[in-house]
Amino acid sequence: MRYTYKALLFFGLASTLLLSCSDDFVNVNSEDENSENFFNTEEDYQNALIGAYDLLQSSYLNVMLGEIASDNTLAGGESATDVPGIQEIDDMIHTPINDQLRDIWNWMYGGVNRANYILEFKDKIDFPNKANVLGQATFLRAYYYFELVKFFGDVPLAVDQRLLFGDQNTVDRTPAAEVYAQIELDLIYAADNLPLTQTQTGRVTKGAAQALLGKVYLYQNKFALAAPVLDDVISSGVYDLVTDYSTIFENDNENNVESVFEIQYTDVEGAGFGCLQCSEGNVAVGFNGPRNFNGPLFESGFSFNVPTQEVFDAFDQDDVRRDLAILDIEAFADAYSDFNNGAGVTYTEGFEHTGYFNRKYIPRVGDTNIGDQNLTNPNNYRAIRFADVLLMGAEAHNQGDGNDALAREYLNRVRERTTLSDVNASGSALTQAIYNERRLELVGEGHHFFDLVRTGRAAQEIEGFTAGKNELFPIPLVEIQLAGNRWSQNPGY
Amino acid sequence: MKHISIFVAVFCFCFVASAQNFSLSGTVVDQDQNMPLLGATVLVKGTQNGVTTDFDGNFKIDEVSVNDILVVSYVGFVSSEMRITSQDNVTISLTPDVDSLEEVLIVGYGTQRKKEITGAVSVISSETIEDLKPTRIEQALQGQVAGVQITPSSGAPGSGLDIKIRGIATNGDSRPLILLDGNVIEDLSVVNPSDIESINVLKDATAGIYGVRAANGVILITTKSGSYESDIKFDFKSYYGIQETTRKIPVLNATEYAGLVNEARINNGEAPFFNNVGSLGQGTNWQNEVFESAPISNADITVSGGTENGRTSFSASYLTQDGIVGGDKANFNRFTSRLSHDRKILKKIEFNSSLLFSGIERKSLSENSLGSVLYNALNNAPTFTVRDQAGNYTLAEGLGNEVINPLAQMENTINKTRVRKLSGSFSANYKFLEHFKIESRIQANYAEVFGFSYTPVAFYGSGKVFNIDTDRDIISESANIFRDYTFDTFANYNNTFNDTHKLDVTLGTSVFQTTGRFTGFTGINVPGTTGIDVDIQDAEIVTNNFQNGGNTFDARLLSYFARVQYDYKGKYLFSGVMRRDGSTKFGPSNKFGYFPSASAGWIVSEEGFLNDSNTFDFLKIRTSYGILGNDRIRDFGFESLLNGEGAYVFDDELIIGTAIGGLSNPEIRWEKQYTFDVGLDAKFFDNKLDVSLDYFNRRTEDLLITPQTSGILGGNAPGSGAPTVNAGSVENTGLELSLSYRKTVSEDFKYNFSFNATALKNEVLEVNGEASFLQGGSFGIGQEAPARMEAGLPIGYFRGYQTDGVFQNQGEIDAHASQSNAQPGDLRFKDTNGDGVITNDDKTYLGDPIADATFGLNLGFTYKNIDFLAYVFSSVGNEIVRNYERFQPLTNRSTIYLDRWTGPGTSNDTPRVTTGATQNNQFSDFFVEDGSFVRLQNVQVGYTLSDSFLEDYKINELRFYVSASNLVTLTKYTGYDPTGSTGQPIGGGIDYGFYPTPKTYLFGLQLKF
Repeated sequence: MRYTYKALLFFGLASTLLLSCSDDFVNVNSEDENSENFFNTEEDYQNALIGAYDLLQSSYLNVMLGEIASDNTLAGGESATDVPGIQEIDDMIHTPINDQLRDIWNWMYGGVNRANYILEFKDKIDFPNKANVLGQATFLRAYYYFELVKFFGDVPLAVDQRLLFGDQNTVDRTPAAEVYAQIELDLIYAADNLPLTQTQTGRVTKGAAQALLGKVYLYQNKFALAAPVLDDVISSGVYDLVTDYSTIFENDNENNVESVFEIQYTDVEGAGFGCLQCSEGNVAVGFNGPRNFNGPLFESGFSFNVPTQEVFDAFDQDDVRRDLAILDIEAFADAYSDFNNGAGVTYTEGFEHTGYFNRKYIPRVGDTNIGDQNLTNPNNYRAIRFADVLLMGAEAHNQGDGNDALAREYLNRVRERTTLSDVNASGSALTQAIYNERRLELVGEGHHFFDLVRTGRAAQEIEGFTAGKNELFPIPLVEIQLAGNRWSQNPGY
Repeated sequence: MKHISIFVAVFCFCFVASAQNFSLSGTVVDQDQNMPLLGATVLVKGTQNGVTTDFDGNFKIDEVSVNDILVVSYVGFVSSEMRITSQDNVTISLTPDVDSLEEVLIVGYGTQRKKEITGAVSVISSETIEDLKPTRIEQALQGQVAGVQITPSSGAPGSGLDIKIRGIATNGDSRPLILLDGNVIEDLSVVNPSDIESINVLKDATAGIYGVRAANGVILITTKSGSYESDIKFDFKSYYGIQETTRKIPVLNATEYAGLVNEARINNGEAPFFNNVGSLGQGTNWQNEVFESAPISNADITVSGGTENGRTSFSASYLTQDGIVGGDKANFNRFTSRLSHDRKILKKIEFNSSLLFSGIERKSLSENSLGSVLYNALNNAPTFTVRDQAGNYTLAEGLGNEVINPLAQMENTINKTRVRKLSGSFSANYKFLEHFKIESRIQANYAEVFGFSYTPVAFYGSGKVFNIDTDRDIISESANIFRDYTFDTFANYNNTFNDTHKLDVTLGTSVFQTTGRFTGFTGINVPGTTGIDVDIQDAEIVTNNFQNGGNTFDARLLSYFARVQYDYKGKYLFSGVMRRDGSTKFGPSNKFGYFPSASAGWIVSEEGFLNDSNTFDFLKIRTSYGILGNDRIRDFGFESLLNGEGAYVFDDELIIGTAIGGLSNPEIRWEKQYTFDVGLDAKFFDNKLDVSLDYFNRRTEDLLITPQTSGILGGNAPGSGAPTVNAGSVENTGLELSLSYRKTVSEDFKYNFSFNATALKNEVLEVNGEASFLQGGSFGIGQEAPARMEAGLPIGYFRGYQTDGVFQNQGEIDAHASQSNAQPGDLRFKDTNGDGVITNDDKTYLGDPIADATFGLNLGFTYKNIDFLAYVFSSVGNEIVRNYERFQPLTNRSTIYLDRWTGPGTSNDTPRVTTGATQNNQFSDFFVEDGSFVRLQNVQVGYTLSDSFLEDYKINELRFYVSASNLVTLTKYTGYDPTGSTGQPIGGGIDYGFYPTPKTYLFGLQLKF
């Protein structure tokens, strides 16, 4: 009996000790905030908004491909196998297996989800600046979706909700028209809720929302809707052309009066090839720079995105813009033959060397260039310039209400800055003049491929372009697979 | 039964009584320590007449006669027989038997006699560690234990080694759970190997007592403690050595190089680059410039002793090792100090404690990557001198953006890590009511890890990615703090019923928590300073590396376990374990899990039919089966946290915002491993030959993988990432054999050998990720990742083009499937899918980094005062990818290219050289080599001074030795070192210019007094 008693006592004690720890011990909260308990202050909204802006920086690749896919530039690079995804797009032989197209898909959806994260919680609290915050968020969602719809056509659309793990198995591709409709709604909302000017440079304004809305209308040939909204921007009094074309793209003239919307970059943080979308710098600038360059004014890069002889020759010899938009490296080397105590300018010829570089977006000397100097260039991307708005306005009037007089006024305002004479044409001749001006004024800025496609000129201008196929890029094959192999591929791929 | 024994005893007594009898007194002592052995059994052979020794090791046995044989046995010692020759007192000394079946092994929350163990457990003793003199404990396991594979991730001082037990069972973190005196340890570099008493490796389902952490196997390390009732002993060891590289890769000299550069240009229609080939001579051998002989030295002292109720051991050690690349720039030094004290309180309570302090300083260079020092040494042009006429390092102009002067690189590398770690473990156990024992122990670690690096302004040549512009020098500092504790409490009941049913029940709980905090800052432009004395405070711009959060962690485990062990007559052994684990790694619905395992053994040699066998001294058959877990995944994968990167520029200033981090998957649960083992242990020829044989099958399901995930979820935004999901299955099947033989030929000559072999087959059964495969590793620049995990093939297999010789002429090209850019002299890729065109789809299995079989062999003998040993290990059937060549028009090449194709019939292996577009550098089997090797890991000759000489100086033992490590490696592999690998499950076995494990010559002494 005594034995049993002691044994019982022992087991009692032991089990008390053993079970003294409650299961709650393994319920731990991270010190990092949970995303579902956020948006409790205005600051939370503002911080999440910065996260939504972040992905704008990754659109450098969209800009590069907008040129390379067109007849303006060649892929370049080190060799025929240097970034095959870019080389294939240049040659119009791209397939659904393409790392760069996948990057664009992934990164733009990164932006979509971050904007939707804010909008998902838009009703949680109220605060004085809420309309401004939501206006910026809807603009950003529209910007990212516009990039997606331009590249891929029908894309899964999510409105005011994130796509969460598991959703990839159920969500379908939304017809492009519906995506465009949502973009329009977002931009109208943004234009109605954003101020003409913001206290901080770099933030989206009413003018930016209207200009992008005008552009979105143009892409759908809704000229009658485009004209008034673009007129609004032009007559707002906020924007004007920079008098001296040579200064527009220099780093000391960022966010100038001509910038309706400008994507902001900085060189204060390092970056690596492992996460190009993480760079706070303009990655395209390093890619575009002359290879192993050693000389004044500019810095070295990877010699991608090299302008063709054809686009160089498309400029009138007297057009001041030609040598400011396109760097003729041989002429430049001749001009600075005394550089480095007479050693002169040195560089290496890359693949598809044409002797030309995209001067608007190549590295400038004097950058901080922290970390990898090719990935952290601070050159802001002038996403929507007032010149672009004027030319879009011209196109809208020329093709919409037929107000060619106003169209010519807008067009000639752009030409006045150059030494070129006014255009007097009207009708379809004016249309061609506007198209031509768009190409020259905006060369190197990533618009040309999409302009050619939307105006139906791509097949005639781009070697290798197959009508009915290459208007859109293929949905990356792996993305179709990862979404459960339910989506159809774009035609022809 | 009982009646029979009594009958026998009486019978024997009668028989013995008939002889001329007397009483004999004597003492039984431990031969090594000369300590009395308490409780040793002294038995007259063939009788039941026996006694046990008292506290002083003394015994007195009655009724013996001359020519009787006394059998003396004691747990953990080799039994000894002695013929009685007179009535004088005798002293019988026993030698400790490390391999004895009576040896007690730690099996997790308890101990078990080796004889009764039903699992696959391997042991490394302190002797092996002393023989090998590793700088890290893992090295002592290399080639020593069947089923355990150790691969160095680098030969640089202080580098880690990868440990895999019975193959790669997961694509994630496949490291085993390592416990040092019950204390979780992740980085073994902080431990002084000579503090280790033993290393036990639990390889099968017996590890199930560790539940959710056991799937990769468990390694239990026990440190030394003093002995009760012993005099103070000093044990001093020291060695000094020189390390050298095991190999230099033959590359072209300046003349050969210039010839090939010119040929490559001519082949592409370009003008030759060098017009002075004949006058270039040998040029610079960059490998000679970067490799050096580097010293290593170590000293440690242990003081131990004990009283009746207390024992104490104190040790201190210091190791310093320079690198064979970089010398002092790759120095590793370690100071450790350890104190352990055990005390018996009252009769039933024992208290154990140990404290360990380690301080480490490690400097390191860029290694095993594109742009590492060795990569640069291999690729830099031999036509460049090290320095130019002005005395500055030469620029590597024309060699692409990545290759730079390796000596300039070393000079500009200032990179230092400092670790301060304090570990403690305390335990108390209380025995009561005869059969009960309760034990409680707490183990805790605290570590501070400080990192410092400074990258000064440097110009290595035009466009180099490593150039640092003026005022852009970078300084970075980090201070990370890690804390963890484990608190175990368990109770044990042990009883034997009717001398036949032995029952052992353990119930326990374990609580584990690990927390940490990272801080780190990067500064740019430290004005006016160069060198090591820079301070981040002075930097112009300072950024917090953790501005997005994510700098703390808190992971916990709450476990309950029960183990029942039962044996019937010491013949039939059963053991069952159930463990319940709760882990913070998993969400509310999957937090807790149950892990059952069971094992059984049959000691066949105890059966009547084998009792008289002359063949077997011992034979045990055992088997085990269980479900084990793996929870080594990132914390909080089940919930969505705001630790992503959201940064943008307003007003020309970088503003940090908030963003969602890695995508969450609320459904994640642990990996489950179903593990089966069947094996046997046997002893032959008077216990001289030990054999163990095991077959195992481990199938891991619900693999925790982080596959590519649909981009629409936003997982590719900065600071985000794919979610972890349970998808996939891997199977490892293998055979293990261990043999050991020891023989004492005479007092003067003893020898032993041991051998182990492991055959392993790894197969991925299922991958649910993107397009049914996962990728890893890298090859060249911008090429598809070469390693894959895919159903039906070994994990991490290499996938690329299969070559089929070299195109000899245009006709062969025309006859072959369409291959872009192909010209005579180019590699011919096989059209494996037969569609007439060479595309990405033709890439196929080219080998895998997993060895088909590994072997270890140890030989040793002692003759009088001389001892000798040799350790060999070998790996067969693993492939390595050669990936340290940059292939720029002006970079140097391996001498393989001296036998290149230069015209029809010249070579069918090595392609032509050209600067033009070619597919020859695409990943193909041209870059995959057989990584099999045999390595003479250690040879050692020692001399122990004779006792007579030493007694005058009160020295117990003085031994001098010379030893050489990695003296010879036989391999066909053309790279530095076939033994190395990053150990990544997908992406291991790719050689980016591996820092070779050095060849080391040591001279040392061991002194005991």
